[in-house]
Amino acid sequence: MMGQAQKPMPEILESLEGKEKVVIMGCGGCSTVFHTGGVEEVDIMEEILVKEGKDVKKITLPFAVFACYKPFSSMFIEKHKKDFKNCDAVLMMSCGDGLQTVRQILDEDMDIVKPFYPAINAMGVSGGGPSKFMEKCQACGECVMGRTAGICPLTECAKGLLNGPCGGTRTDGKCEVDPEKDCAWYLIYERLKKIGQYENIDNFNEPHDWSKSVTPRIFEREPLDIHKHLARTKKVIESLGI
Amino acid sequence: MEINSNLKRVLDSKKFAVTAEIGPPPSVDSKIIKKKANMLKGYIDAFNVTDGQTAVVRMASWATCLIAKEEGLEPIVQMTTRDRNRIALQMDILGIAALGIKNILCLTGDHISFGNHPKAKGVWDIDSIQFIRIVKDMRDNKQFESGDKMDVAPELFIGAAANPFADPFEMRIKRLSKKIKQGVDFIQTQCIFNINKFKEWMEKIRDLGLHEKVKILGGVTPIKSIGAAKYMKNKVPGMDVPDSIIERLSKVPKEKVSEEGIKIAIETIQQLKEIEGVYGTHIMAIEWEEMVPEIVKSAGLYPRP
Ligand code: SF4
Ligand code: SF4
Repeated sequence: MMGQAQKPMPEILESLEGKEKVVIMGCGGCSTVFHTGGVEEVDIMEEILVKEGKDVKKITLPFAVFACYKPFSSMFIEKHKKDFKNCDAVLMMSCGDGLQTVRQILDEDMDIVKPFYPAINAMGVSGGGPSKFMEKCQACGECVMGRTAGICPLTECAKGLLNGPCGGTRTDGKCEVDPEKDCAWYLIYERLKKIGQYENIDNFNEPHDWSKSVTPRIFEREPLDIHKHLARTKKVIESLGI
Repeated sequence: MEINSNLKRVLDSKKFAVTAEIGPPPSVDSKIIKKKANMLKGYIDAFNVTDGQTAVVRMASWATCLIAKEEGLEPIVQMTTRDRNRIALQMDILGIAALGIKNILCLTGDHISFGNHPKAKGVWDIDSIQFIRIVKDMRDNKQFESGDKMDVAPELFIGAAANPFADPFEMRIKRLSKKIKQGVDFIQTQCIFNINKFKEWMEKIRDLGLHEKVKILGGVTPIKSIGAAKYMKNKVPGMDVPDSIIERLSKVPKEKVSEEGIKIAIETIQQLKEIEGVYGTHIMAIEWEEMVPEIVKSAGLYPRP
């Protein structure tokens, strides 16, 4: 998921200065998990902005409906077309991916060109939960974890070293940069031992191929049959008794 | 390739080598560099200049090296992979080699969060071990990292750092052997205060025969004050300052602490001279370069070959 945190309220209000009619849009994906753009957070934001004297229209996406997936978000945007058309600004309570996907739908498919403001800061591909998360992947396009015991050195090591550890590892195996965090290479070393690949530590890892992460990366895929997948999810959920 | 490095000459002749560190100024003050260089002249075989140590902006290592070189000393340029990608590093290598620098120390560099520009972006396109391999390929195979070839190769004696004190201990030996495999010629170690642990490290190195494949120079730092000792012990990651050192410094009157610190440094060098596989010492007298001549003399290392 995309880790994220809300921007400080004064920064959000400053960006909306002079904008009277504001559309707030949340996200049912990561922003719901991280409490930055779920139904509740959008409600709270609405309340604050109304108190600030703004004319607010809100769009909430239910859980598991990602703002960054065009087939999902366009359904909701379509329904609120008028609000978008009339507004002075859109405050997006999703990661930058969601903001730009929504902006593009409006720009390109509906010819509605509006100023967009982010209400949150995205903080990297993160996993974990329900309450503690950690950034786990840089989406480098050339995964090396087969050689590093399933631990990503590009992300977990503060210097992204592929032949670590650096000379600063603390005596308790913590990272020189943050005494609260484990040194990634200490973890890799310990885990290689456990999975019987200790000799991997002697292997020289070549300089990383960063050409695989020249941005923006663009790809094409076969469109998804949403109804089929939703039906499948429904079945699984029912069978699990959730 | 014939490398015309004075440091290499001394090491090859099996004489105990002496290098020392010069801290570059956080300004354009070239006078201070010349002053420091002249303090060290005749007492060392080569000097290092740090490259943005602790991620604080100071004069570039290569530029400081060239200024001090004019005073007749041999430089060891330090280069970290923190601030430059493989393109910038290779360009700088061509430049320093063309300007007559013969020694390089390949480093990963201290993290940006320790320095005075904590908002900067760290580069780390490559790490120090990959860097060693790139310099070696440039020197021995006239080849850039891309595989492209060059006509005139850089003539460089390749060094790296090693920290015998960081954990896990076993991994430290593995890292050193990785550096050797990628082509490092000499090693300058982290400051040695825990001589017993260093001896243990050297023993492992000798068991693996690594001491015959690389020239190890033991790092020594004279301690100026008890505060400095405690700071290094508690605040500098990867430093091992045993309590016995702090106790020893605490026992002498306050005005004698720095003298005691120098004594400890001299004793450490004398012990290093006795350890098989140690080829020299690297003195890091941080903002205290004027003490280097006395340390070198008292350790019986003067005059230099
Ligand atoms: S190596 Fe690359 S793709 Fe694999 S986890 Fe790390 S950043 Fe992600
Ligand atoms: S201590 Fe470990 S995780 Fe931290 S920067 Fe050094 S190698 Fe990376």
